[in-house]
Amino acid sequence: MSALLIQTTINAAYAASYMALIAVGLVLIFGVMGVINFAHGELYMVGAYAVVTLYAGANMPFAVAVAAGLVFVGCLGLIMEWGLFRPLRENPLGGLIASIGFLLILQSLAVLAFGLRAQNVPPISKERLVVGGAVLTYERLLVIVVTLVLLSALWLFLRRTRFGWALRAVSQDREAAALQGISINQTARLAMFIGAALAGVAGALTAPLVAPTPLMGHSVIVTAFIIIIVGGIGSLEGAVIAAILYAFVHTFVTTLYDGVIANIVGLLLMLAVLIVMPNGMFGAKERA
Amino acid sequence: MEIKVASRLDRRTFLTGAAGAALIVNAAIPRVSFAQAKVVKIGFLAPLTGAVAAWGKPGLDGCQIWGDWANEAGGIDVGGEKHKVEFVAYDDEYDAGKARTGASQLVQEDGVKFIMMLGGDPWPGVEAIAQREGMLVSTLLPSDLTPETTTLVAPCEVHPIYNVTGVEWLAEKRPELKTAVICAQDDALGKPSVATYLAAFEAAGIEVQGDPLFFDPATTDFAPVMTQLLSGNPDILCLDTCYADYVAPLCEQAFQQGYKGQIISCTLDFYGRIVERTSKEFMEGVVFQFPDFDDPALNDPKVNFKRPNEFYAEYVKRYGATEWSAVSWEYASIMDLWADAAQRAGSVEPEAVLAAMKEGGTGKHIFGDAKWWGKELFGIDNALVGDWPVVVIRDGKAKIEEFRSIPAWWEKHSALLIKHMTALDQMWDQRT
Repeated sequence: MSALLIQTTINAAYAASYMALIAVGLVLIFGVMGVINFAHGELYMVGAYAVVTLYAGANMPFAVAVAAGLVFVGCLGLIMEWGLFRPLRENPLGGLIASIGFLLILQSLAVLAFGLRAQNVPPISKERLVVGGAVLTYERLLVIVVTLVLLSALWLFLRRTRFGWALRAVSQDREAAALQGISINQTARLAMFIGAALAGVAGALTAPLVAPTPLMGHSVIVTAFIIIIVGGIGSLEGAVIAAILYAFVHTFVTTLYDGVIANIVGLLLMLAVLIVMPNGMFGAKERA
Repeated sequence: MEIKVASRLDRRTFLTGAAGAALIVNAAIPRVSFAQAKVVKIGFLAPLTGAVAAWGKPGLDGCQIWGDWANEAGGIDVGGEKHKVEFVAYDDEYDAGKARTGASQLVQEDGVKFIMMLGGDPWPGVEAIAQREGMLVSTLLPSDLTPETTTLVAPCEVHPIYNVTGVEWLAEKRPELKTAVICAQDDALGKPSVATYLAAFEAAGIEVQGDPLFFDPATTDFAPVMTQLLSGNPDILCLDTCYADYVAPLCEQAFQQGYKGQIISCTLDFYGRIVERTSKEFMEGVVFQFPDFDDPALNDPKVNFKRPNEFYAEYVKRYGATEWSAVSWEYASIMDLWADAAQRAGSVEPEAVLAAMKEGGTGKHIFGDAKWWGKELFGIDNALVGDWPVVVIRDGKAKIEEFRSIPAWWEKHSALLIKHMTALDQMWDQRT
């Protein structure tokens, strides 16, 4: 029984890791730009396909492929900010709809370029650690470690740098921030780059573990929305804690019952939090 | 004295001479017989993209080889006339609505005389059209058959019934295996197969731990699923008829979580990649039901497939060894059956071909003589059932271990299969 418990905890930690990266990216974009980016799941997908192309296709080192994916998807975020969200800054609903359109464009481009079949990405390692009778592969450990590093770096960035303070200021009150001389456009670009890059690196890291398909973004965006609602829209800390909570609940229920019941429980969790705390666990009072 | 050679090769003369030469040459070349052969169109309505594409697209690729070989030989002889075969493909994306659209197009616009399908979830979208038009349709899934599906035949694959052969063989060769777990996606492919494996395990005296695990088809992380499956330390891990996109990560998770037991699965498509992602040692002894066609066992005279080893070599040459799947040969073998029936009927019309196919109640199934069967399970004798191979991974390669008889298993254990099919609402009179 203890081996089952440890194995399930390990599985949950992995799931919490990549979902936290995706959710934090989504919250960052919403917090600064006030827009829900429905194409965020597709940014995750593009990161995965960067690894498909560079690591599986061109035999580049995995680290290089992940870094390239991070930069590429970040730049894609810049394009989205400039082409979609900035012109529609005063129209959040328009930005949401535009992001849905961009989602479809990214999916279609992926289908055209790679087809609909799941891609085979060779494992980066078959080695594993045995922890109390449970197994943690190096691939999954890498996802957990990189997530901790990136989220820690983001926390330091937001707390200790001028750019980070600017991001937090804009997300709290855009007009006041502008009056203080903070460039909204520059801050929005920064938020979009970081937010997109986080989704892209999540996709890149998990590419050897899931078989990338053009439609893989769909399931993560639904989960990401549940997480940011539970955590509190606009709260980075809330997104991380909600990701951990959701991943553990979902993984344990899947292991003890099945995945369909786990999905239902996840939704019930979201409803329960909204009833008790309508702004989410860390919403409104605590913002990025 | 200057000698002038009169060379009056002016433009008119040159052109006239060239035209004459062309006519002479053209008359000397034998006329290509295709220009005079009729064309019979065969519909291929299956998933060519999406999660189930591994059971559609490779089959179309195999049919192209079959078609090229038939046409190079002058076409098939039906009623004293040569018929070139042309395949018209439509991607149903494993969706009933798209399959309905495809069937309408194939029948009404393309004028096909026979439609080959994977079957399963798309079949209900096609059923009414097939009945109305009297179109002969083949399925790889006999679980689609009902008394109303009079023009639907399952002449090759008898999914999921053939799965009993793997379990029966395993129980005999490895009697020390006493417990099993089963997982599958919850759909028309997974459920009847689960019922079959439950019956097969019960017949073999193997205990199934817990209820079969029907996982969400949207699952991408199979770690929690595998953790649950392995929690009881089962002797046998049964992957049922999981899609190719699920079998690979499930095997990989079993490997990563240190499973040392026996794996059995209906299919093991693209197993080379699974071996790469795990190891030869881990995959040694995995049992499934679909051979590679370079297997020398297929040269047995009872096997009704022309030049199986050459077919495999041609497939690999055109598409790559990694693209060979469970269905790469199946639709081509159905074409063998169809062509034979059309030749005997002297017609390509669906009604005539169907009558010729079922004449005498027996037929030449790819793996030997077989009979048209299925009334007890499907309400109609439209499944061609005989022997089926048990395939095992040996040193990283699929090898046929034995051919086993499905009717022989049925005679001993039919009650068990009916019991489990009924419990999972998979009998023909329970399916909507």
